[in-house]
Amino acid sequence: MSSGFGYLAFAALANEQARAQENPLAPKTGHFPARAKRIIYLSMRGAPSHVDTFDYKPQLTKDHGKAGKYGSTRGAMLLKSPWEFNQHGQSGLWISELFPELAKHADNLCLLKSMQTDQPNHPQATLQMHTGSFQFVRPSLGAWSLYGLGTENANLPGFVTLNPFGSAQNYGSAFLPAIYQGSKISGASRRQSGRNRDNALKIPNIKSENLNREQQRIYLDYVQSLNQSSLEKKVHQPGIEGVIESYELAFRMQDSLPEQVDLSGESEETLDLYGIGNNPTDAFGKQCLLARRFVEAGVRFVEITHSSGWDHHRNLKNDMEKNCSEIDLPIAGLLADLKRRDMLKDTLVIWAGEFGRTPHGQGGDGRDHNNKGFTTWMAGGGVKGGFNYGATDEHGYEAVENKMHIHDWHATILHLLGLDHEKLTYNYAGRDFRLTDVHGQVAKEILA
Amino acid sequence: MIFVMRPFYFLLVVWICSFAVVNSQEEKLTSDQVMFFESKIRPVLADACYECHSNEGGRVKGGLALDTREAMLLGGDSGEVLIPGKPDESLLWIALSYTDPDYEMPPKNKLSPDIVADFRKWIEMGAPDPRVSETVVVKSEIDIEEGKKFWSFQKPVKPNTPKVKNADWPGSDLDHFILSKLEEQNLTPSSKADPETLNRRLYFDLTGLPPTPRQQDEFLSAWKTNPEEAIESTVDQLLASPQYGERWGRHWLDVARYAESTGKETNMTFPHAWRYRDYVIDSFNADKPYDHFLSQQIAGDLLPAKTDEIWQENLIATGFLAMGTKGLNQDNGRQFTMDVVDEQIDTMTQSVLGLTVACARCHDHKFDPIPTTDYYSLAGIFLSSTTYFGTIRNAQNKRPSDLLILPVPDPVGPQISDSELESLNDRLTSMRRELIQLRQDRNNAKGNAAADALRQSIRTLTQSQVLQARINGYYEDGTPKTFAMGLQQNDSPVEAAVLVRGEVDKPAQVVERGFVQVLQHAETPTIESSSGGRRELAKWITSKESPLTARVMVNRIWIHLFGKGLVDSPDNFGTTGQLPSHPELLDYLAVRFMENDWSVKSMIREIVLSNTYQMSSDFDSANYDQDPENKWLWRANPRRLNAESIRDAILAVSTSLDLDPPRASPIANVGDVRVGIRVNEEMINRPTTYRSVYLPVVRDMTPESLALFDFAEPDTVRGTRESTNVPSQALYMMNNPFVTTQAKLMAADLVKSHETSRDRILDAFRRCYGRAPTRSEVENTIEFFKTFNASSQPGSNRLATSYLSMATFCQGLISSAEFRYLY
Repeated sequence: MSSGFGYLAFAALANEQARAQENPLAPKTGHFPARAKRIIYLSMRGAPSHVDTFDYKPQLTKDHGKAGKYGSTRGAMLLKSPWEFNQHGQSGLWISELFPELAKHADNLCLLKSMQTDQPNHPQATLQMHTGSFQFVRPSLGAWSLYGLGTENANLPGFVTLNPFGSAQNYGSAFLPAIYQGSKISGASRRQSGRNRDNALKIPNIKSENLNREQQRIYLDYVQSLNQSSLEKKVHQPGIEGVIESYELAFRMQDSLPEQVDLSGESEETLDLYGIGNNPTDAFGKQCLLARRFVEAGVRFVEITHSSGWDHHRNLKNDMEKNCSEIDLPIAGLLADLKRRDMLKDTLVIWAGEFGRTPHGQGGDGRDHNNKGFTTWMAGGGVKGGFNYGATDEHGYEAVENKMHIHDWHATILHLLGLDHEKLTYNYAGRDFRLTDVHGQVAKEILA
Repeated sequence: MIFVMRPFYFLLVVWICSFAVVNSQEEKLTSDQVMFFESKIRPVLADACYECHSNEGGRVKGGLALDTREAMLLGGDSGEVLIPGKPDESLLWIALSYTDPDYEMPPKNKLSPDIVADFRKWIEMGAPDPRVSETVVVKSEIDIEEGKKFWSFQKPVKPNTPKVKNADWPGSDLDHFILSKLEEQNLTPSSKADPETLNRRLYFDLTGLPPTPRQQDEFLSAWKTNPEEAIESTVDQLLASPQYGERWGRHWLDVARYAESTGKETNMTFPHAWRYRDYVIDSFNADKPYDHFLSQQIAGDLLPAKTDEIWQENLIATGFLAMGTKGLNQDNGRQFTMDVVDEQIDTMTQSVLGLTVACARCHDHKFDPIPTTDYYSLAGIFLSSTTYFGTIRNAQNKRPSDLLILPVPDPVGPQISDSELESLNDRLTSMRRELIQLRQDRNNAKGNAAADALRQSIRTLTQSQVLQARINGYYEDGTPKTFAMGLQQNDSPVEAAVLVRGEVDKPAQVVERGFVQVLQHAETPTIESSSGGRRELAKWITSKESPLTARVMVNRIWIHLFGKGLVDSPDNFGTTGQLPSHPELLDYLAVRFMENDWSVKSMIREIVLSNTYQMSSDFDSANYDQDPENKWLWRANPRRLNAESIRDAILAVSTSLDLDPPRASPIANVGDVRVGIRVNEEMINRPTTYRSVYLPVVRDMTPESLALFDFAEPDTVRGTRESTNVPSQALYMMNNPFVTTQAKLMAADLVKSHETSRDRILDAFRRCYGRAPTRSEVENTIEFFKTFNASSQPGSNRLATSYLSMATFCQGLISSAEFRYLY
């Protein structure tokens, strides 16, 4: 691990060019021209059902009530989707009636219907979704992206995760330098709703009550001198490097972040577009708008997490309707907003849960975990719109065509960013590590 | 609430959370009986009932499904609904006949008298029901004998101490194990840490606090005479201090997912959880043998107790099983019960055995040799007890429970007078009267007026429930009662039915109460039919024959002294966990632990007195190139302090740390409420000066000072914490009023204690780093003061500026990496 570049880069090197050479976050070009310059990852924790949303299964409807024939769940009764599916757009993509607004953007969606992951348990699958490994501590997708491409705004973290859920490893940098880890920004209080635009995110400790900016800089220089002396005494201290970098970024964020999360400059029309101020779209609408503001400001990778949870073992009917009504309009708003700003062409929007759910029911109104087949989607950023990729079997239990394992998914995402997943490596412990380990196939068919 | 009695000579009357067992034998029905059912009963059920009460239809209101014979006999949340032959005792007929205003079905739409009469007749006939479901038997394909071959399922045996080349280095058997691996890998152990570093490491590791400069001086002078004795006497002194239990008790609280609220959607407080916290801290301070510590937590209510005080302690210990997260808004009572049991199985097996047995709830464990029948054998044990966790009923809390009343009075609140109690009772009475009135209003009114009356009744009902709970907290003379959370065994133990795919309405065969088969050992007790089995469970787990109990605990101890475990997945010793880096050492320590009567203090002592523990964390490029992760322990791991230690150290260096434990907890003072209004961010983050272990631990509302520095979220067993360095922590150190206040207090104390800047600077470094500053650090500090003082705003008071510069200097030390790192 290289040492001490944080402080050197930020404090000692004044001139921009030198900074560009030394600054590990300076924008870099990838291995080939990028189709997507930035990513917005919409994380649906808890694993939404694919057969009720984007994977239309008429045969499941026909076989409703019959015993399923799949693996260890053989004999469990198949449960048809309680919702209707209709074709949308010129492409005629089948989308469930749960997403009336999003369906209007059908021609921008690239449905990946043959997803697979290794583990049917939430924490492990979430970890694999984010880092490629469910077992070992590995850098996250966002960290790899930042490592590969740097960021375009030095005053904001290059990788932002809003209200994340679960382990910090999901946005961690593992053995990559700490500067590439995601910055968790939480504090969007669930109880805060309404059009309190200047307060979309409450960021604690953002302002000094004691010191003016000059004094604060003197204080910080002193802190960094102490840290630097620790670093000199103790070589190879990723922890101390992390502390050094965190102070520099924090110092700059004091000005840039409050501005970034202040929605008072946004028009009424924009707020309406995202459903801000209205139930039940307010909370997720704000997150979507913040995501757009962050990527617009040059942040490379933004992840937002829908808080309600999609683990519908029970109450599928009510809870799916509730969850979908919370995200449908905001996501449609985000796509529309990116489009009209001409940003969708090079912004990759990803919608994904950690796995899918079984075509058979659980207690008549629920579905169990299913890692053998599920759907995620992408939009913008150089993927084909109105496109279906891969397929599950007739009931939606297992991917059977163009299977897309998480490793393939990661390889494809990196490819869209202009990064070759086999060349984006980091040498650690005598070995070159990759996000995709020794796996991963780019799904070329989805490239626009 | 429940008045618990001493074990062995009591008769406890508790309602039993019965888990009815379905008889899936089919009797022969006559064709008349079948005809009657098919023509008179089934169409009505389908037409009038299934919409709300069927698995197929998707709604199981009140936990009751009527679409299968089994489900119908199983009943719902209100218990059985159909007692064949006895219509007047069958809730089904009572509801259909509209004879009890609380149970009228179908609601608002009474069936015709003919139909109701048919149902009566049908029940009198014995409720013949030809609807056939297959008799389900869940079979397992797991080969237990084959499974037993996995390393962690075999009993640890003390290995021979390995030979080493460098015979001078090891100071103990433990060192031999480490050194032999290092030599195998061609690695060389680091030199001994310098005394200042070592003393700081010992203080933080054993008590969670930094040594004061004076404690450093004492150690250094003893070290000059005899380093070994200096270390030994410091270790003994630290292990004997009450701060030890606060540090190590907290480690266990991470594992026990200790919290003062239920979490999940409803999130009600647990105002009595703190008793368990104090019990844990006291247990570590008393060096209670770990086997007994576990027995108390699993079956304390069933252990013999010579005195009421011992009995009290045993009861509080069972809070371990009661304080898991609870989904209080669960409509289905049976589902709720099974979820509570699941949480208990999950916590107990992960924390004590390092196994994820709860994965076998829905099917055989996918990776470990644990059939789903094992899960239901354990479930039978927990279903034979009732869990008392408290909380009060309200619109979002459908599943409150009672609490245990402890035998030795130790209440939190003050006595109230007769008249106060009387006035509380009066208020309750008038609220009840109001409720009756509102019910009438509701029935008489229409439209908006009816809606208003409904809203008002809900408000009044909630208030009356809060008031009722408050009144329940007192005896008739106004003396407050002493409550705890915990378990009590039911009168009649039950056996659990295996649930197909974990679904509560899909019972298969019934299994005997028992344990995890792959971990059966020579001393596995049998569970008598009269016993619920928790006592036996505790015996099984704490037997020296148990392959996992000691290994899992010594690995936990190791983690807190080295930063990572011999097994890197401390809560998972199964086949998807990590293999031990030093399997022989792990077994050696496990056996030693049991030999020393499960003494945690002895185990810690043995480890910290080793040369392995006392190595420096110095970097070595040859070693690093070969083993960058320090798997083989060629040096000490530099470690970031945990959240509690960072906050405690800030209070310690400013001299405002209050070492006296506070009484109870802020949550106890608030009482039974839903988190959000009276328990809020402001209240949780209110500045205090006692140790961090006593801060309120409310689920989904952790104090900022802990949450920012990777506190273990108390939703599940947490054997390790993460260690991040992120900008939000930097902002906290830069701008948080708690930090700046403490920095000012530290500055004031330095100014008061010393005449010269030199002495102040020296003292500050020693407080924060446990060492004197280097020359360049002194120069940087002098430079800092110069620049800072020159920067002051024109016109500002020089004295104020010099005070601010001293405070900012202190804040600088507190903010720096070395303050929060252990080398």
